[in-house]
Amino acid sequence: MSDINYWEPGNLIDAVSLLANMGDQVRALAGGTDLLVKMKKGPINWKGIVNLKGLTELKGFVFEGETITIGALTQISSLIENSLLGLHFPVLVDAARSLGTPQVRNLATIGGNLCNASPAADVALVLLMYEARLLITGPSGSRKVPVHEFYVGSGQTVLQLGEILTAIEIDLPPLNSKGVFYKHGKRKSHEIALVNVAVLLTPQPGTKQISRARIAVGAVASTQLRIKEAEDSLREVIATLGAFEKAAELTKEAVNPIDDVRSTASYRKQMVGVLTRRALVEAWGGEL
Amino acid sequence: MKTPISLQINGETYLLNVPIKKTLLDVLREDLALTGTKKGCDSGECGACTVLMEGKPVNSCMILAVDAVGKQISTIEGIGGIMELDPIQEALVAHGAIQCGYCTPGVVMTVKALLDSNPHPTEKEVREGITGNLCRCTGYVKVVEAIMDVSRR
Repeated sequence: MSDINYWEPGNLIDAVSLLANMGDQVRALAGGTDLLVKMKKGPINWKGIVNLKGLTELKGFVFEGETITIGALTQISSLIENSLLGLHFPVLVDAARSLGTPQVRNLATIGGNLCNASPAADVALVLLMYEARLLITGPSGSRKVPVHEFYVGSGQTVLQLGEILTAIEIDLPPLNSKGVFYKHGKRKSHEIALVNVAVLLTPQPGTKQISRARIAVGAVASTQLRIKEAEDSLREVIATLGAFEKAAELTKEAVNPIDDVRSTASYRKQMVGVLTRRALVEAWGGEL
Repeated sequence: MKTPISLQINGETYLLNVPIKKTLLDVLREDLALTGTKKGCDSGECGACTVLMEGKPVNSCMILAVDAVGKQISTIEGIGGIMELDPIQEALVAHGAIQCGYCTPGVVMTVKALLDSNPHPTEKEVREGITGNLCRCTGYVKVVEAIMDVSRR
């Protein structure tokens, strides 16, 4: 077994310059729960690991005004344990709880869940629904990218050579909004989603009218998607089962799933409709 | 090519030379003969390799040994003793919650961390807590009973 090179940069500047200089020859290591699986499956076409563990500033939470900033190296289990996060972003905590197992959640990071760019990722899907912004630092400085512009394809992101995702910024959703996350798999736990759905409904206060809706779906296309047509169909309409059914149908029509080892395209298409309808009904409070 | 590292395991310091690609699990078993930690799937699924890192359960097959430097690691060898079992181990034995036993060290480590942070869990919390430990023999009923029993002591 040929071995590989290994670095533990002590700060962000060193990490960026290492990654920029080594290019495609190296991979960044965060929690390792995806990277080690890929290493073991092999063959790998890279020759070194840049372990980001020394970048302690990329860990933890900052609440400021209407915005929370989460360090990219924050463990998934820390999302679950943070009570303020649970209060303001309960759907993010639901998704975190559904990711992997306790053992995996103690290693895996929020940044890794995004950068791995799996169409089935749970936490990343909810970040798409919450309209998070990603803070990225690279050789030519820092930039902010909204999650919906982050993915290029399955396993591919807009990150350029030397760039590191440093933090995730999320604004509080509109007052009275209610979100729901659904994950459909063959088992209750320890599962990669066949389909996952995250929705957020904002009611018009004191009425039965929906002000805004957000619908994000995963594992039904090469990247996770916001379904604008379905969201627009719910804008400023009275909440009825029919309205939610129509939005679910539009969602179903907008996706383009594949057959793979976990499921078939036709089943995924069917289920994304079912789950979207159920999630919308639940987000409205279940009574129609 | 090997890299010199120092690991903190069960309160002891071990100086080793390891390849970068070698996992903590393989170092425990092959270099340190701490074979109580089991190798099941070797891909972060089954939980047989569960150890505690800074008191939290993790899959030792998903951690490079070089990445474990500076962390306090506990393995099943650090729990109880041959003549005096940990109460978790006693309860698993008393409830017949062991058949082939291959998952048991991982279960003990997970439950140790669970009860350290939540001494009186509900059955639901116990079931959720052990979702990362696959047991193909017992159907989990006796495992859960044993954990509930020890948590009431």
